Amino acid sequence: MTLKATFDWTQEIETITLGATKANGGTRKVAYTIGGGTTLPFLEPAGAAKAPLVAFEICDNPVFWPQVIRDYCGDLTNNPADWAKVAEAQYGADLVRLYLTSTRLRDFSDIGSVKTTVETVLSATGLPLIIEGSNEPKIDSEVFLKCGEAGQGERMLLGTAEAGRYRSLAAAALAYNHSIIAQSPIDVNLAKQLNILLREIGVQRDHIVIDPYTGSLGYGFEYSYSAMERIRFSAMKGDTDLAMPMICSPADSLTVKEVREHEPGLGDEMAVSWEFYTGLAAAAAGAEIICVRHPKTIPLLKQAFANLLPAAGNAGVP
Amino acid sequence: MRTVTFLPSYRKIEVVRGTTILDAAQRAGLSMNVVCGGQGKCGKCVVYIQSGKTEFDAQKYGRFFTQEELAKGACLACETLVQGDLQVMVPESTLIQEQKILIEGEDKPIDFRPSVKKYFVELHPPTLSDPSPDLSRLLWGIQKSGGPEAEKMYVPLEVLREIPSILRHSDWKVTATIGLVPGGYRCIDLQENDTSGRVYGAAVDLGSTTVVVYLWDLVSGKVVGVASNYNKQISCGEDILARVNYARKNGLTRLQALATESINSAITSACNTAGVDRDDIYEVVVAGNTVMTHMLLGIDPAYMIAEPYVPVVRRALSVAASRIGIACNPNGGLFAFPAVSDFIGGDIIADIIACGMAERDEISLLIDIGTNFEVVLGNREWMFSCAGAAGPALEGGEVLFGMRANPGAIEKITIDSGTLTPNFSTINNIKPRGICGSGLIDLLAELLETCVIDRTGRINTEIDNPRIRKINHFPEFVIAWAKETDIKKDIVITENDIKNLIMSKASIHAACVTLMKEAGISRHEISTIYFAGAFGNYLDKKNATTIGLIPEIDINQIRNLGNGAVVGANIALVNRRVRKQLDEIAHKIGYIELNAENAFMDEYTSSSFLPHTDLTLFPDVQKMLETCRLRKG
Repeated sequence: MTLKATFDWTQEIETITLGATKANGGTRKVAYTIGGGTTLPFLEPAGAAKAPLVAFEICDNPVFWPQVIRDYCGDLTNNPADWAKVAEAQYGADLVRLYLTSTRLRDFSDIGSVKTTVETVLSATGLPLIIEGSNEPKIDSEVFLKCGEAGQGERMLLGTAEAGRYRSLAAAALAYNHSIIAQSPIDVNLAKQLNILLREIGVQRDHIVIDPYTGSLGYGFEYSYSAMERIRFSAMKGDTDLAMPMICSPADSLTVKEVREHEPGLGDEMAVSWEFYTGLAAAAAGAEIICVRHPKTIPLLKQAFANLLPAAGNAGVP
Repeated sequence: MRTVTFLPSYRKIEVVRGTTILDAAQRAGLSMNVVCGGQGKCGKCVVYIQSGKTEFDAQKYGRFFTQEELAKGACLACETLVQGDLQVMVPESTLIQEQKILIEGEDKPIDFRPSVKKYFVELHPPTLSDPSPDLSRLLWGIQKSGGPEAEKMYVPLEVLREIPSILRHSDWKVTATIGLVPGGYRCIDLQENDTSGRVYGAAVDLGSTTVVVYLWDLVSGKVVGVASNYNKQISCGEDILARVNYARKNGLTRLQALATESINSAITSACNTAGVDRDDIYEVVVAGNTVMTHMLLGIDPAYMIAEPYVPVVRRALSVAASRIGIACNPNGGLFAFPAVSDFIGGDIIADIIACGMAERDEISLLIDIGTNFEVVLGNREWMFSCAGAAGPALEGGEVLFGMRANPGAIEKITIDSGTLTPNFSTINNIKPRGICGSGLIDLLAELLETCVIDRTGRINTEIDNPRIRKINHFPEFVIAWAKETDIKKDIVITENDIKNLIMSKASIHAACVTLMKEAGISRHEISTIYFAGAFGNYLDKKNATTIGLIPEIDINQIRNLGNGAVVGANIALVNRRVRKQLDEIAHKIGYIELNAENAFMDEYTSSSFLPHTDLTLFPDVQKMLETCRLRKG
């Protein structure tokens, strides 16, 4: 007997295209359509069910990156293009999320380098890209425009818009037809408010991915979980301003005390455990994209998702 | 003793050495602006010592002054002790300024059933064949003139003592005043000859800022005089909390006396206008918030300001007015409105009476906005209430150029959607000095409609217009250029001001929604929204809806009650039946403690958006804003 788990829900989650193949004017080897859900995660009928995508996070300046990852990935962390290549070829990531951490250095002004970095990463991997821009409102506009321009036609996902700063990011996304990550601090209302703001300046609903902000497991993740549940329930019940896919990045998990102060030799194990369990829980709460930083977390998550899907599942992921 | 002379008025007062200048000023009859209650915290009671010896810690309070000011003798009146004879200059800004006081209440036909009545009786003197005692002779006479039954009237000792001489001195023609008190009929006064046309009553709104008195002729059922003035307790602290703290430190006596004095001076001026003798006032009905009522009655409110916030008394009280020093007939009575909780006081019960929501089947929503707000939802069957802090933003606090409704305050404003040029009017039509609450609500709505701010209140700095700029920490919008103002400074509203305003409006709207959810009703079921208090009277209803201060309902169904407290007090003064219902109404009202309500924070966050995160609650506003946005392109 199968459980029909759609209740009386009427609203589908918006579908969003990530990446553009040659046929669609891009250069990606693969493109994804995320969203489209009609019920809670892993309850879709066989065939319709899709596993969440796993994105691997890299950066262009590793001083901001957790030590455990720098130790594990070694020299790759100094070369985002090689790192992206390995993420695709060896780690098995579905997506690459590039943090332009170089822009976060004090008095950063080499805006031109942003474009070069994005271009080299794009040519190093065939996976769709997520780009995280600056953290500084003053240079936001230029950085996002350069990113957008460099990835024109590639249907990237640009991050991260917040209620206090969304205009420049939205402008770049609109100009070059990319999608946007809309982040709000663990609250269903604030998530909705930001989506309304984005909609009102012209960002289409099928270009928004909600980042409800992911607290780390044991350090507030339960709030994220319940905010995500509420977002998804509201969406299913017809709130179109919340009916978008979600993205979660358990990056905070790598800085918790247990990972930082691990016993000798257990660093990777602790980091992977914390990322894995946070990521799995986020997927259970409804996230369509889970971002990780430790390469060993990727196969674990993929295996777990496969086990959770109905028998004929896994259809969404090529 | 030391003599303190206050300039420029040359008021003099003698005080003992070591008295604070603030105390001296209060005794000299100067009302200073003491926001903190004289604790040296607010820096508002600035005075300049012209000559004489004082003690003041200029180092400790130096932050309030520039070096230049200190050199001129600036100090805080509350923290400066008189040591020798002094001359003290009091700047105008230190004194409490004239403010728009709301006197008018909604005109509403009032059912006239006063509880005090005079009976003129002509008695036959006793004889050997008719030797009944003076008292029964009088009471029978009253009954025969249409008064209550003789056996049902109680005559207190004070009146009894006067009966024999008054009867004989007046040649047995007397006027008796009979009041209906909770214990039954009571003869409260006996006068010679026919004074039956002279029965007056006073309805009092005892607010924490202002006192309003309506003087009624209780024979004809007409208002014969109205007067208002400041609550003199302001000199002991601007807000209630400061006053309760003052009472804790210095005892309640002074605050009680100031409350009485404030009422008395309003009664006196109303009597003077109407040509009425204060001794002919037999009844005073007071509607005040819970703390004010406690203070007036001399009941210690100290425990009300801490958890779990319980008042000493909730029910209506009748006392002899003379016991608390009210200037009326020595045997006159005072009736104080009941309360629901610490925060829902007699003033709100009076609002409820004024709007009549407790008599109707339809559901009404009553909102009283000040620094604190109170909300009541319900009908004749049920009522819920709650109260909370709206923050000072709507009264002009925590807003850079915010001000109270004093002369020069921008009270109405529109903004041209093309040029973004504001068009405003100020109180008394003088050059602007700042913006008061009603102006701020207009401003918020106009900025939203012209797309200068987004729905979170953030200013779109990408708009190319000289009025939109960022000079200091926050982006700001220039309302008036320095040359147009009275203060020679650009009057602006900053993004931070807007944030504070949104927080205020969000807490009020969230409180409304919390009550609606508690009652299980939607906005469609609300037949009328009443605004009580001064604020409601001046604000633009459409704009209040646009920013989501109140739930969206048909704009014609939003009413301003005006000074509901005084209207309610009027009704209770002249209609004794209403007075009987008050306790019942107060008892019926359920009080929702918002702090204990988990859903409130959630409602608050979703209300912290213009007009609201759930746009389906504001369909008309949403439609209007869509149109504005499309027009803007």
